[in-house]
Amino acid sequence: MIDESTDSTKAATAAELSTPGRRGTRLKKFVRTAGWTSIGLGLFVLGFVGQQLFVTTYFAQQANVGLTADAQTYFEEVEITEVPYVPTLGSLVSGDPEIITSPDAPIPTILLEAKPEIGDAFAIIRIPSIERLAQGWAVVEGVSRRTLRAGAGHMPSTPLPGQPGNSVISGHRTTYGAPFHELDTLVEGDIIEVETALGFHTYSVTGIEIVTPRDLWVIEDRGGATLTLTTCHPKFSARQRLVVFAELIDGPNAEAILGI
Amino acid sequence: MKRLILRLPGPMPVKIILFAAIVIVAVVALFFFYDWFGTSLLDTGGTIS
Repeated sequence: MIDESTDSTKAATAAELSTPGRRGTRLKKFVRTAGWTSIGLGLFVLGFVGQQLFVTTYFAQQANVGLTADAQTYFEEVEITEVPYVPTLGSLVSGDPEIITSPDAPIPTILLEAKPEIGDAFAIIRIPSIERLAQGWAVVEGVSRRTLRAGAGHMPSTPLPGQPGNSVISGHRTTYGAPFHELDTLVEGDIIEVETALGFHTYSVTGIEIVTPRDLWVIEDRGGATLTLTTCHPKFSARQRLVVFAELIDGPNAEAILGI
Repeated sequence: MKRLILRLPGPMPVKIILFAAIVIVAVVALFFFYDWFGTSLLDTGGTIS
């Protein structure tokens, strides 16, 4: 009797001891899994931030050096033509003398450069009041994800800078070198200079607006020669667009376009 | 990680090469994902469309 009771007591004690032991093992396993998952997620987020802020910027800055040199070469090689321009129509007249109402009046002419191929660096934008743009940033033709990896791109459906119409340049604000990071600091009257094969085109800022990405009116022709810079807004979000409007005040075609 | 390498087929040098290839492919895929995610949500380049 005594032996039996002793055995049953021992078995009960062993069972009591083993249950918390198993629980402890399970808890340890859970904590270890949770710990490694947290470390993994942390590294994933850290990698994302690092890639977006530093890796893209490093490559965009490296690319910009090469693209600026490419743009200089492009300036020398691109074909430039001189065509008649009728300021009142706000459009080009390809040598049609009938449209000129007064044959005695001197026909103003403007310089045109051939359209660059998608991905070609064809211009350099400089904004003296913004430190990172004071030295200039290469502008490539196209606004696809691929072309904008260089930082700033020209919308192909709009005229080239320095030509009649509204030329639109888009650029990254927080990644890929973030050339348009401080675009919100511009004020009316600030100077934007765009160098192309034709020479230096100087624009003066006329306004800044926050719009949605679908506000197509910002890229419409406003008459004369204008420049529109677009970038994401607010910083680290693609929810809205910060748009800077500027008008041509000086350059190779300014005299003909502005009628001065 | 050691267990993962040991599970790969072939002799040890092959296992190591396979593991290195898997790591490289994973890192490249991860960077593509980061790039897509970043240019979709954080900064599209400011295009109007």
